[in-house]
Amino acid sequence: MSASTETGSPAGKTWKSKEEFLGCVILTDWILLVILFAVLLGSFHIHYMLLAGDWDFWIDFKDRRMWPTVAPIVAMCFAAASQSFFWTRFRLPIGATTVVLALLIGEWINRYDNFWGWTFFPINLVFPSALIPMGFWLDIVLMISGSWLITAVVGGLGWGLLFYPINWPVLAQYHQAAEIDGVLLTLADLIGFNYVRTGTPEYIRMVERGTLRTFGKDVVPVAAFFSGFISMLVYFLWWNMGKWFSTTKYLEIEEV
Amino acid sequence: MKSLNIQSLARCVTARAVRLWIFGLAVAGAITTLPAATPAAAHGERSQQAFLRMRTLNWYDVKWSKTELNVNDEMELTGKVHVFSGWPQAVAKPGESFLNVGEPGPVLIRKSAYVGEVPVPRTFSMDVGKDYEYKIVLKARRQGRYHVHVQINVKDGGPIVGPGQWITIKGDMKDFTNPVTLLEGSTIDLETYGITWTYIYHFFWMAAATAWILYWFMTKGIIVRYWQVKAGKGAELIGQDEKRIGAITLAAVLLAVVVFYAAANKEFPRTLPMQAGLLTGISPIDEPRSTVAVQFKGGSYTVPGRELRIRVKVANNGKEPVRLGEFTSAGLRFLNPEIFTTRPDFPDYLLADRGLSVSDPNPIAPGETRDLEVIVQDARFDIERLSDLAYDTDSQFGGLLFFFSPSGERQKAEVGGPVIPRFQAGAAL
Repeated sequence: MSASTETGSPAGKTWKSKEEFLGCVILTDWILLVILFAVLLGSFHIHYMLLAGDWDFWIDFKDRRMWPTVAPIVAMCFAAASQSFFWTRFRLPIGATTVVLALLIGEWINRYDNFWGWTFFPINLVFPSALIPMGFWLDIVLMISGSWLITAVVGGLGWGLLFYPINWPVLAQYHQAAEIDGVLLTLADLIGFNYVRTGTPEYIRMVERGTLRTFGKDVVPVAAFFSGFISMLVYFLWWNMGKWFSTTKYLEIEEV
Repeated sequence: MKSLNIQSLARCVTARAVRLWIFGLAVAGAITTLPAATPAAAHGERSQQAFLRMRTLNWYDVKWSKTELNVNDEMELTGKVHVFSGWPQAVAKPGESFLNVGEPGPVLIRKSAYVGEVPVPRTFSMDVGKDYEYKIVLKARRQGRYHVHVQINVKDGGPIVGPGQWITIKGDMKDFTNPVTLLEGSTIDLETYGITWTYIYHFFWMAAATAWILYWFMTKGIIVRYWQVKAGKGAELIGQDEKRIGAITLAAVLLAVVVFYAAANKEFPRTLPMQAGLLTGISPIDEPRSTVAVQFKGGSYTVPGRELRIRVKVANNGKEPVRLGEFTSAGLRFLNPEIFTTRPDFPDYLLADRGLSVSDPNPIAPGETRDLEVIVQDARFDIERLSDLAYDTDSQFGGLLFFFSPSGERQKAEVGGPVIPRFQAGAAL
């Protein structure tokens, strides 16, 4: 890479000056950032909507067992792959934060524009799960440890454990109770009942279904630990997935 | 080679290219988001297979208490449903069902729903061969004209859509309120409850994430970092100072999580888990056994003529003579004009007020058994795609026959069975 301070590009030189070269690098950086962000947003959004789907769409699906189990596990895929890319290629500790921010931006556009703007579902029915503190956790564990193995074990476990507590500040208000026609409902249940979803009958909710009853009402910690454990395994797989696909070999054309 | 690629890429990055790119994004965004969505005119009920609509749930006595409302007005959608005895094998039985409304989004909200006397905000169980009465209280939310159906979703069977009516709502959705009294006594507006805080909480974290990403991006960007990592100097990029910044950030994040969590618990000390579970034991309609028995003897469907002909043996075990007045199936009503001299209040697209005739119009006397040929003929049969019965894998029809006595008493009888398609006009049974 050559740089010259002379006016005009010397023969065989690409850049007229060092300033021009640096300007190009910075501009290219910004374009790369925007493109990367858009690609991650689109791909992670599709992935998360397909796998977390209704658990993330609706407030009356956000239970204490299935939601904190499923949502972190499926979110871990892109977080791990993105970390692999940003860390091994650039030593940037932003992989997980970037993908969850991208996902959240995509989800908020979708929820506001489509769910509210087009079909009038109130936002308190359709707001997405909060994930960003989990992104911070994963990125900073990787940065401090410098090890993807430690990140998988410590970061993966924390990823699962953090999910419910970081969502509770919004969710708590919708778990207040009301008596409707003599039936006990939480506000989350009631919002789901009031605001008609023609294609989403009540029975497809999976509210605390399963056989694990030993821990009584303390469902969340068990679900969170299980989720954290599976997130570790998912991290291993998807870190390598990210590594395999973090390559420019598909873009290397001899003629260029 | 790599630097060549980057140089080539950088050469493409002109101000004009960037402007064009941003303009293209803006146009794509505008095209995909700005045009108003057109209202849905129907909810796909015609696309459901004919045998499924005819032989699962037979809707009758469906009424919409109002067809014009102002925002915040309430209306009732009431009626009865017969769970067909010959429920198709291809469709799961209605052991887990949900009373629903077919409408284009929550333009009316469902304030309450009952089957019989039992409130059904959740899934309930129905028995095959029984009749159930339902009531849904709806509250107008968004201005416009909407097609509103009763609907029962059956687990593993899908939505089974009942008759629909056009409902006009006047006013403005911004005036809509949905007051709910909490168990602890206070009243909230569920339409907007908690939304501002939800925005604040989410956007706080999104702003924090943006700051974190930009901080690292602004220190050496992407390309320079790539070169350094490639040159084996990756360790220099994350030194003790960087790790210290990370540790402080992580501590702040975790502290914020704890503070938010504790604040939520303090503000909402009494919370419950979501309520779910199957409602069983809902009683069907308690009605006397029908005094009219109908036995299906065979039938055919003439595809070009849109005509269903069925042969039935009718036994009148009552004390009054009866005449066949109505056949209903899949939400459609075919009326015998000799019985229905005035047109009932029912959506026109589902009401064939001259669609039923009988080979022998004389009343069936008490104690008499008579063979009848019943002819159901109307374009609505075809418009609602019930003629597709001929192309179903299970070409059996089903429905309800209503007989009427001179005193106005109504007797209901289920009828159904295989019908043979006739593809030529004028084909006889």
